[in-house]
Amino acid sequence: MNTLNAKIDPRDGKLVMAHFYVAFIALAVGGLAGLLQTLVRSGKFVLPAGIGYYQILTVHGVVLGLVLTTFFIMGFQIAATSRTSGTLSNLQRKLGWIGFWLMTAGTLMAATMILLNKASVLYTFYAPLQAHFIYYLGLTLVVVGSWVDGAAVLGKYISWRKQNPGQPSPLITFMAVVNTMLWIVATIGVAATVLFQLLPWSLGIVDRVDVLVSRTLFWYFGHPLVYFWLLPAYMAWYVVIPKVIGAKIFSDSLARLSFILFLLFSIPVGFHHQLMEPGIDPAWKFLQVILTFLVVIPSLMTAFSLFATFESYGRSKGATGLFGWFKKLPWGDARFTVPFIGMLSFIPAGAGGLVNASHQLNQVIHNTIWVTGHFHLTLATAVVLTFFGISYWLVPHVTGRVLTKAMNKLAIYQGVLWAIGMTFMSGAMHAAGLLGAPRRSSFSEYGGAAQATEWIPYQIAQAVGGTILFVAIILMLYIFVNLAFFAPKGEEEFPIGEVSDKAEKSPMVFENWKLWLGITALLILFAYTIPFIDMIQNAPIGSKGYKLW
Amino acid sequence: MAKMELNRKTKTEIEDSSSLKGTLASVFLLGFFLIVTWVSVYFLFLDRF
Repeated sequence: MNTLNAKIDPRDGKLVMAHFYVAFIALAVGGLAGLLQTLVRSGKFVLPAGIGYYQILTVHGVVLGLVLTTFFIMGFQIAATSRTSGTLSNLQRKLGWIGFWLMTAGTLMAATMILLNKASVLYTFYAPLQAHFIYYLGLTLVVVGSWVDGAAVLGKYISWRKQNPGQPSPLITFMAVVNTMLWIVATIGVAATVLFQLLPWSLGIVDRVDVLVSRTLFWYFGHPLVYFWLLPAYMAWYVVIPKVIGAKIFSDSLARLSFILFLLFSIPVGFHHQLMEPGIDPAWKFLQVILTFLVVIPSLMTAFSLFATFESYGRSKGATGLFGWFKKLPWGDARFTVPFIGMLSFIPAGAGGLVNASHQLNQVIHNTIWVTGHFHLTLATAVVLTFFGISYWLVPHVTGRVLTKAMNKLAIYQGVLWAIGMTFMSGAMHAAGLLGAPRRSSFSEYGGAAQATEWIPYQIAQAVGGTILFVAIILMLYIFVNLAFFAPKGEEEFPIGEVSDKAEKSPMVFENWKLWLGITALLILFAYTIPFIDMIQNAPIGSKGYKLW
Repeated sequence: MAKMELNRKTKTEIEDSSSLKGTLASVFLLGFFLIVTWVSVYFLFLDRF
């Protein structure tokens, strides 16, 4: 740990902030698109100037699901690595900048095509909906850029290991490395479908596309993508939050093991997104459902570890009784309270996830707005509120400013407002989904069908929730701008927790990447090889492209 | 009498500070919530299909 920097080097800080600027611009644009969507779906609002509902849906999904997340995560992981494993070398920093500019150029290309209404293919860009080739090329650049960006983190990790032989790497660097590996392995799927299927097809080089293969490659990427979003939040929960509240990390080994389990089990599980898809043998769907349920183990390990950290801390402050420790937590500190709201939301989010991943229960909720409600709890609350919680200290840490009392208070209001808005919006989405309301689609009365009439009050509740959430987004942007440019100068801590004295030393086997990547590859080959051969051997003629907007 | 009370207090504190019974209860509550959600949708499934 001799390379621990109390303060990030300003050169690395600049790279981090560049990522954050794009991420928060994405929040503004994507948030506005989200608000408009909920208003349209209430049936009380029509988009002006011929703007299409599916166009803003694509903006919302791509800009928040891909751009905000990837930029924020890359920035945060670079910051965490630089803080705990030492300042990046010039080469590593250069890689970070190249990655950043590639991702930014790709984002601008994809965004331009969406704004020109040439790529309203929704967030999943499922074939046979066909976008302009520049859209696919832009997304490819985002992915390639993220690989180059990730190389900076991996490079720093490798040089740290060389300088500290036989020592376990700093916990948060280790976690950033696991997440980078997970991302690289996962994005091979989306890169394959874009490069070999969607790009040649949208360029007119080939006429038809194999829809099932492209969707399978998309979900090979799509599920670990969820964990790529989630693991940085877990980094904060495991490593940062204990320091913020003045406690110790419950167990270093448990944290590392849970991250390794996520690497192993989050990839060979894409079929649980395709349970209703014809053309995949149910036996292979069943196998992937089992692998999906194995992800429950590291999730519950995380829950246990966090409860234990909180309880140990509360009891050290004199708490008694079964839940007395709960009151001792620092509720006045936004760096804790806002991510804590995120943690709480992960409980119903996880419960919904178990429903989604169960083959039969998936029939109840498949393609309904329940699913949208689900990922607004996972990504748009658990993950995003943790990212906001990170920004409250990381942005001033990098810009040499402080989170003032007034901003801290505003940040807590922002988190609470988010929780209220999301309870309305996501709660109504879950309920309407159980009543059969479809996801993605614009407002319709479906010819006056009685069932569709039942959905309308829930759609109005979604618009109320969406509006409250948009106010929370404005508050967040205000706080971000304040912390980046206007807050008083000073020193804001980058909190990194220490491991409890009672915890065992971590075994070095966790750093054995040949072993873990080897098992990851074996599990992927096991789960996907035969179904893929089956799909290709029995492939239909393929589909022409459709532009339905 | 006073001495006995003092001893008892000290003992309780030592037991309490390392206890994770709240964590155990929380994890059980969490598990219970997961099962209830799953079973509720399962009955909806049975009802509909």
